[in-house]
Amino acid sequence: MDLSFLLLALGQLISPQTIAYALAALGLAVQFGFTGLLNFGQAGFMAIGGYAFAITTLRLGFPFWLAVLSTIVATTVMALILGIPTLRLRADYLAIVTIAAAEIVRYVVKTPDLIPLTGGSDGLNGSSITFDAINPIPPGSYGFGPLRYDENDLWIIIVGWIFVLLVALLVRQLMRSPWGRVIKGIREDEDAVRSLGKNVFSYKMQSLILGGALGGLATIINIIPTSLQPDNYGTQTTFFLLTIILLGGATTVFGPLVGAIVFWVVLSLADGVLTLLINSHLLPISSVQQGPIRFIIVGVALMLIVIFRPSGLVGKKREAFFA
Amino acid sequence: MRHDTTRRRTGPAALLTVFATAALALILAFAGGTPANAASSPTPSPNASAAQSIQVWIRKASDRSNVAGVKVTVSSGSFSQTVTTGKDGKSLVGLPGGGTYKVQLDESTVPKGAGSIPSGLNPRQVVVSAGNQAVPAYFILVSAGAGTTPTPGATSGSSTAGDSDAGPSASPFELVVPRIVTGLIFGLLLALASIGVSLIYGTTGLNNFAHGELVTFGALMGYVFSAVLGLPGIVAIIAATVLGGAFGFVQDLGLWKPLRKRGVALVPLMIVSIGLSLALRYIFQFIFGPDQLVLPADNRAALILGPVRLRSTDIISAIICIVLLLLVAFVLLRTRIGKATRAVSDNRSLAAASGIDVEKVIRTVWVGAGALAGLAGVLIGYYQSLRWDTGASILLLIFAAVTLGGFGTAFGALVGSLVIGVITDVSTVFIPNNLKYVAALVVLILILLVRPQGILGKASRIG
Repeated sequence: MDLSFLLLALGQLISPQTIAYALAALGLAVQFGFTGLLNFGQAGFMAIGGYAFAITTLRLGFPFWLAVLSTIVATTVMALILGIPTLRLRADYLAIVTIAAAEIVRYVVKTPDLIPLTGGSDGLNGSSITFDAINPIPPGSYGFGPLRYDENDLWIIIVGWIFVLLVALLVRQLMRSPWGRVIKGIREDEDAVRSLGKNVFSYKMQSLILGGALGGLATIINIIPTSLQPDNYGTQTTFFLLTIILLGGATTVFGPLVGAIVFWVVLSLADGVLTLLINSHLLPISSVQQGPIRFIIVGVALMLIVIFRPSGLVGKKREAFFA
Repeated sequence: MRHDTTRRRTGPAALLTVFATAALALILAFAGGTPANAASSPTPSPNASAAQSIQVWIRKASDRSNVAGVKVTVSSGSFSQTVTTGKDGKSLVGLPGGGTYKVQLDESTVPKGAGSIPSGLNPRQVVVSAGNQAVPAYFILVSAGAGTTPTPGATSGSSTAGDSDAGPSASPFELVVPRIVTGLIFGLLLALASIGVSLIYGTTGLNNFAHGELVTFGALMGYVFSAVLGLPGIVAIIAATVLGGAFGFVQDLGLWKPLRKRGVALVPLMIVSIGLSLALRYIFQFIFGPDQLVLPADNRAALILGPVRLRSTDIISAIICIVLLLLVAFVLLRTRIGKATRAVSDNRSLAAASGIDVEKVIRTVWVGAGALAGLAGVLIGYYQSLRWDTGASILLLIFAAVTLGGFGTAFGALVGSLVIGVITDVSTVFIPNNLKYVAALVVLILILLVRPQGILGKASRIG
């Protein structure tokens, strides 16, 4: 019996993918959990940010810090474009517009006519060069057992986790500041906040920009050890993020982090157990049929969490739900 | 007369029967007329008499011009036939039966400078069900350098009906008019699905993100009945409609009604519908596999009016849609349950206070929405092709249509759908084909900038 999948699942605890989803989920939590904005297009922010980083690095030869800056600029522009028409409208309009915008981004970057710029549906490879160039870790193989990382993997994992924890602390402080109280007030009762003379629209826009930028930065962490694939940023990515923040607790700072870890470890375990069952002919399904199962798990989990435990794993009951 | 209708208690079952019989009558009426027209098919070929055929079409990616004189071999088991494409770049290959065929293009016969087939796309496997006519096997020649690989993405809606572009010499009129016609047909199909979204939103406030799966469900049921069980198309269409209605009923009874009773707020409900959509979609993939499925149909043009070429399935679909939309309009405007539905949409508490059984109205709406979505699904299956995510890929178009028309207004959904359908198809004249859904989504965002309540919506609804 091959139990190596247990180690793979353990690897998901700290993998760059988990870091990226934690960061993007944190961004979504700022918008959705704290402000009550229904951003169903976080995948679009992630894609825009990732392409801004990869294109400026590969096509324009930007240094790392400038490429990161262009990611923030790109996601900010997208937030402004989406926010200005919709933030004044009822919440579900923002949901539909953002989900549509995310799909527009994905279709456009996949267009064959843009292959010289975006690589079409093959995506972009090798945007990690500037990041790896500043890697201080000596070449070698690190880790234990079958979990081996080379110096570049280790570098992104260390930098990624430090960055996520710093951002989480920053968001926590922000939410305890007067700014955060206004933001949470908007979630609870927009009109009450407006009657206090606050510019609700402006606060919502700031929240949208902050969350979107975190989504864009998350993609940088995601694509550095792998590559930028447009189809990784479809609507299902946003729904994964929704599941993650609801799993962890949408109105908490550390909920998205816990949620991302639990989410990927559980999915990895489920994949491993399924493979084991299929290979030992205990389950009468083909390996092609194995692919959809993780999505079915996520879908059912999302429904069950919302219905039975809306406050998530680490959420507070009092702040259980956004309205 | 009108009194009789208004007095009748139109329950969900009665509504379904009406839909089903209308569809049946229509198709029976039409079944006789179409084969005669098929004789005027533009691709007369000695093979046209075969019960199954594959349509080979070779074009250049650069200017979409047709490539003649290319040898193509279609083979499967002991069957093998080599044809040469004609001036229109096409060739029809008659087949002895259903199955998977290998279509191989002889690259040495491709004219110099015309380009080549991207690797991995030659030879290609084409699945043909019994009775399928002119199953598309299209090759796009790409000039060296631009390695386009048209991956079968989430929304590769290869609308064979819109493939009537006649090369680079066609006038703008000849390019646009056929697309307006196919766009209108696509819009009618969208309308069937959109009305359900709009009515569910109107009566319950729910933005149902799982509506695409109702559409896919209908398409897959149509596939099961026609391609798997080999029953005639009429049976498949009716079955998809009836089972779609049943699916809507079960969903409401098993999920949405209990959640309403628990008093779950609208945003959580919306997220539940997202979870349901994800789960259902991948259950479909689990059962039916990740590949394109084809409904047995005659893909040859049955009616030619100038530059417009329509298949018999397009015409039948359009007529079914129009009749059913009129029926829905009648039900909403003239029957008791329709008036009750509109009353609930307008003001739920007031409707309940005036003695309307709100739960019954909502149940009826779910059954009707499910039936219409199921019908839309099977017809979309005939219009293009179907897959486990067919419905999900048009969900945003449905939302665009509903937003455009005004949320919660059934007639707005109809107008919005027609506009979105035409925009989607006509935009392919000006922008690359794979961006055709983008045009509709951009229109959605623009309309929210200018008139957020939609064309027919009331300003008070947007809150």
